[in-house]
Amino acid sequence: MHSSIQSRAPVFCAAALALAVSTVSWPESASARSNWSIDPARTHIGFSIDAVGWPRTVGKFERFEGRIAVDFDHPAQSRVSFHVQAQSVDVGSPGFSDYVRSSVLLDAARFPTIDFASTAVEKLDDHRVRITGELTLLGVTRPLSVDVDVSKRADGGHTRLAFTAKARIDRLEFGMNSGFPVISRDVDLTISSEAQEL
Amino acid sequence: MSDAPSRWSGSTIALHWLSALVVLTLLALGWLMVHAIDDAARRFDLYQLHKSLGFVALALLLARIAARLATRPPIALAMPRWEQRAATLAHWTLYLLTLIATLSGWLLTSAATIPIPTRFFNLFVIPNIAAANPALAEQMTEVHLIATWLLMGLAALHIAAALKHHFINRDAALRRILPQWPTPR
Repeated sequence: MHSSIQSRAPVFCAAALALAVSTVSWPESASARSNWSIDPARTHIGFSIDAVGWPRTVGKFERFEGRIAVDFDHPAQSRVSFHVQAQSVDVGSPGFSDYVRSSVLLDAARFPTIDFASTAVEKLDDHRVRITGELTLLGVTRPLSVDVDVSKRADGGHTRLAFTAKARIDRLEFGMNSGFPVISRDVDLTISSEAQEL
Repeated sequence: MSDAPSRWSGSTIALHWLSALVVLTLLALGWLMVHAIDDAARRFDLYQLHKSLGFVALALLLARIAARLATRPPIALAMPRWEQRAATLAHWTLYLLTLIATLSGWLLTSAATIPIPTRFFNLFVIPNIAAANPALAEQMTEVHLIATWLLMGLAALHIAAALKHHFINRDAALRRILPQWPTPR
């Protein structure tokens, strides 16, 4: 049930890949896929959620991993996957984070990871890719489509792909009902990442 | 009557000032956490601190009532009988309002629709005393606020009376509730 958990971060990566592939007209390493991994030091997986009578809660995840396989010949066959450790949530204080990871919200003890896996990658323009995939949260898998801004930058002799994306999910779809409607159903996700070729 | 002490008992004095400190901190925290803190995490932490201190206030209150009943009050000061009675009434009303404020706080967090456990100074979880019930939570929030405002008003009167006795009447009303160390007597 929760095999295909993804987070938006994978999306970005995928997007970046796709971009790189299609827009940047890469040195035709042609034939096959290249594999990339996200750079945790340059990756930020954040979220925010509103509640009535309460300041907006802004948080992030500290531990995650992501992989991107780019097919420069066939961008649509690029893939992105992301695995975020639910325990690593940080909303600004240990007590508050404990509450967010408790059984009423992330239920991190039962559902240790939040996963995203792409199912399709589509180039929108030279700097944007739409990554469609499946997000698994609390063991519930739902489709998620994210537009990702992608840019390429040189770092020494290496090329890095930078991605940013925003998405909004409805937590009720995943069965995360606690506090609704006082706590909003909408959760805004903000992901930025850089990938380096393996 | 003749052998009544001239001061409040040591336990009463200690509990009085501890309670004063805790209750004033609770009032300040209560205002800050609702009106002045824009950061969600800070606010969450202040709520937890407020809830923890609320249980300290409740425990102190019960100890105070026990101490007050178990120890002899000091000899009556020279003041009109109505004033004596008003003072005693004010003291017990302060206890009652503190009891209502703390119990309504416990009830409102228990009945709140968002189940946030009360972790007593992050040591253990304090059990709820009511099931989730939005109407009850709302009522108890009202009670909590009203008791708090009445408590603040009566505490202000209590402090004003103590200062009036000390500086105008120049009697022992304030001195006999102060810790004794520096001033022999």
